[in-house]
Amino acid sequence: MRALAALLLMLPAAQVGAVEIRSLALRVQTNENGSGRATAVVQIEGAEAGSVVVPTGFPAASNFRLTQAPAGTTLAAQPHNGQTLVRIALPEGASARTSIGFELDVTGVFQRPTPKSGEPEASRPNGRLIFRHALLNTEPATIGTYRFEMLLPDGTRAHAIREALPKLRQAEAGPRAQLDGIDGQPGVWLQVDRLVQGETAVVQVELVPRSRSLAWLLIGVALSLLYLVKFRDLIARAG
Amino acid sequence: MSEPRPVHRERDERMTQDAATLAPNDRLQALLDMEKMTLSSQGRAAQSPSERWMRYLGFPGGITAFLLLYYLPAGAGLSGAAQAGMACFALALVWWVTEPFPTYVTSLALMFMLLVTRVSGAKAIMDVLGMEVIWLNLLAFILGAMLVKTRLARRLSLWLVLRFGHSAGLALLAFLLLQMALAPLIPATAARCVMTLPLMLVVAAIYGSTEDAPNAFGKNLMLLNLLGVSVLSSMTMTGSSANLIAVGLIQSMGGHRVYYMDWVRLGAPVAIVTAFLMWFLGQRFLFRIPEAERVPRLAGGLAMVREKYDEMGPLSRAEKKALAIFGLVLFLWMTDIFHLRWFGVEITAPFAALLGAVIVLFPRWGVLQWAEAEIPWHLLIFSAGAYAGGLALDDTGAAEWAVRKLFGSVALDGLPFGVVFTIVVAVMMYSHLLTTSKTVRTIILIPIIITLARTLGWDPLSLALPAALCIDWVVGLPISGKPNVILYATNQYSVGENFRYGIVTCTIGLVILVVSAATWFHWLGITPSFWAVAR
Repeated sequence: MRALAALLLMLPAAQVGAVEIRSLALRVQTNENGSGRATAVVQIEGAEAGSVVVPTGFPAASNFRLTQAPAGTTLAAQPHNGQTLVRIALPEGASARTSIGFELDVTGVFQRPTPKSGEPEASRPNGRLIFRHALLNTEPATIGTYRFEMLLPDGTRAHAIREALPKLRQAEAGPRAQLDGIDGQPGVWLQVDRLVQGETAVVQVELVPRSRSLAWLLIGVALSLLYLVKFRDLIARAG
Repeated sequence: MSEPRPVHRERDERMTQDAATLAPNDRLQALLDMEKMTLSSQGRAAQSPSERWMRYLGFPGGITAFLLLYYLPAGAGLSGAAQAGMACFALALVWWVTEPFPTYVTSLALMFMLLVTRVSGAKAIMDVLGMEVIWLNLLAFILGAMLVKTRLARRLSLWLVLRFGHSAGLALLAFLLLQMALAPLIPATAARCVMTLPLMLVVAAIYGSTEDAPNAFGKNLMLLNLLGVSVLSSMTMTGSSANLIAVGLIQSMGGHRVYYMDWVRLGAPVAIVTAFLMWFLGQRFLFRIPEAERVPRLAGGLAMVREKYDEMGPLSRAEKKALAIFGLVLFLWMTDIFHLRWFGVEITAPFAALLGAVIVLFPRWGVLQWAEAEIPWHLLIFSAGAYAGGLALDDTGAAEWAVRKLFGSVALDGLPFGVVFTIVVAVMMYSHLLTTSKTVRTIILIPIIITLARTLGWDPLSLALPAALCIDWVVGLPISGKPNVILYATNQYSVGENFRYGIVTCTIGLVILVVSAATWFHWLGITPSFWAVAR
C-alpha cells in the first residue's frame, strides 16, 4: 500500500520533463533527545506549473510549513524507502526559476552506539551519540548542489566525522564534509555537486559531551609528580 | 655550537688513545669494519648538565603539553579526535626531543595514547607496521647489509675518500653532487636514500663518526644527504608524485598548464643554491667541523687509505653479485614508469627492494644469511609510532585545521603581492612540520592557495607554482618523510639537531624564493611586480 502511495506521489514529478533542482540546502538544529527543526531551501528550474519531488534524507518528519514560495504552492510528504519525500506542487503561472523554502520537524536523528556482538556494554563510553544523515536522490532530476548543515545540540561536540559520501571526484577539491562554525554555533556541513539519481549523500558524525573527563588531568599530574620524585637522581648527578 | 660537547671530548680522547694503541692498519680496519657496526637499541646517555635537566623535565613537560592541548576549549571546526591527536603528538614530540627515555618507547606510548584517547582505531594503529615506509626501511637494512658484508660499500667509500676525501668539505660536496645527479633519475626519495646510505655510513666512519660517538662531520653528512634527497626533488616536476599532483591541480583549478622546463627554471636554481649554502653553513656554523676532524681520522692519512684500497684487489665474486643485485634494484627503481607496459604491473620501490632481498638471501646464490642482516627492530618501532602519530593528524583533520587557521588568521586583502607571496610560501614551507605526507599537504594547500589567489585578484600561477616548489622541502623532523626516518635511524644526530638544520634550510629556501619572486620569477613572467597591489 505504502509502495503504491509512493508511486502515486512520484508520478506527477515524472510528468515534469525538464525540471531541474539547481540547489537544495537543508539545515537542521538538533536537540540532544534526537529531535530537531529543519529548514530547506530548494531552487527549482524548469518546473513551471506541476510538481517536483524533493528527497530530505530524514526518516521521520512532520509539521511541514512553507516559508517562501509562490502563492498557491502546496507541500505533501510521504515516507519512502527510509526517508521522507516532499512533493512540491507549483501553481499555474509560477516562474520557471522558483525558490521554495519550507520547515519541518524531525525526530530520531541520533542513535546510541551499539556494542558489536560479544562486546560488553560497559566497554562503550557514556554520552556518545551517532548522527547519520543519508539523502538518496530518488528522482530523475539531478540536484545541482546539495548542501546539508547540522547544528550540534547544546552541551555536545563532534568527536569525528566517521563517514562522508560520495567520495571526492578527481576534479573536486576540498573536503566533502567539515566541522565548522555555522552562524556562530558549532556544526557540520556536507556539500555535493551534481547528485544524480540513485546517488546518496551521507554524513555520519560522532558526538560526545562537550566537557572532558578530568581523568587525564589526574593521571598526568600523578605520573609527573611520581617521575619527578623517582628520577631526581638524573639531575643529582649533574652536581 | 662551536664548543664540542663533553661526549666529543671523551670520544676524542678515546680515539687518540685508540690511535696510539692500535697500529695504523688496525685503526683503519676498526673504522671500516662495518660488520661490527650495529644500530644499538640502547638509549643515548645524557651528557651535559643541561641535557640531564632537559631529560628530567621532559617527561612532565610532555604531559603538560598534552594536558594543555587536550583541555583547551575547542576551536570551531576542530573535532574532539583532532584535538586529542594534537595533544598526543605534542606529548610525543616533547619526549622525542628531550629523550626522557628511548625514542622507540615514546613511539609505543604514543600508539597507546592514540588508542585510549580514541584518536585512531586499533587496526589503523597496528596497520602502520605494514606501511610502505616500514617495509622499505627493513629492506634497506638487508640491502645495506649486503653492500657492507660483501665489502662493496667499503670499496666504494675508499674510492670516494681517495677521490674527494682530502678534506671533509670535499667529501660532503661529493655526496651533494651524487644526490643532485640521482634526483632527476630516481623519483622515489626513499630509494635514493637507501642506495646511498651504506656509503654515508662508511665515509662517516672514516671521518671518525660512528653511531656510538657521532661527530660534527657525521651530522653534516647525514643532514646534507637528507637535504639532497628531499630538497633536490624540487628541481623537476617528476621529482616526486606530490609535485605532479600539484601540477594537475594548477592545471585543473588554476587553468595553467605547467611544462617540465617551467618547473625546472623555477625550482632548480632555488634548490641548488640552497643546497650549496647549506653545505657551507652546515660545516662552518651549524655543526662546525673542527680542524682536526676535517681530514680522515686515520693514523697514516690518505696514504693508508690508498694502501687499503689497493689491498682489496680486484672485485670479488661476492662484490660482483652484490653489484648485479643492486644494479637490478636500481634499474627497477629508475624504470618504474615503464613497468605497466613491460610487466602489466608497477613494481613499486619497496617491491623492487624486496626482489633484491629475495636474491640476497637465496641459499647458495645469495650473499647473505638472515641473521647477518641484523634488522634493528627498535628503529622500525620508532618509525611505526611516529607514522601512526603523523597519520592521526592527517586523518582527524588536525593538520588541515591548523593550516586553514594559519591562512584565516591573516587578513591578506589589499596587501602588496610580495607580502602575500611571503606569507603563502612560508605557510607552505613550514607546514611540513604538521604532517607526514607530502601528498596530503599538497591536496590541502594547493587548492586553498589557488582559491586565495583568485579571491585576492592575483594569477593563481603566481602563488601556486612557487608554493608547489616547497612540497619536497620536508627536512624539519625525523618523521617528516621516509628518508628522514631512514637517516635518523643511523643515530648520527638528534631530533633537536634535525629540527635546527631543517628550520635553517627552510628559512634560507624561503628567503631565496622571496628574492626570486622579486627578480627571477618576475622576469620569467610568473609573478607580478613585487610591490603591486591587486585591484
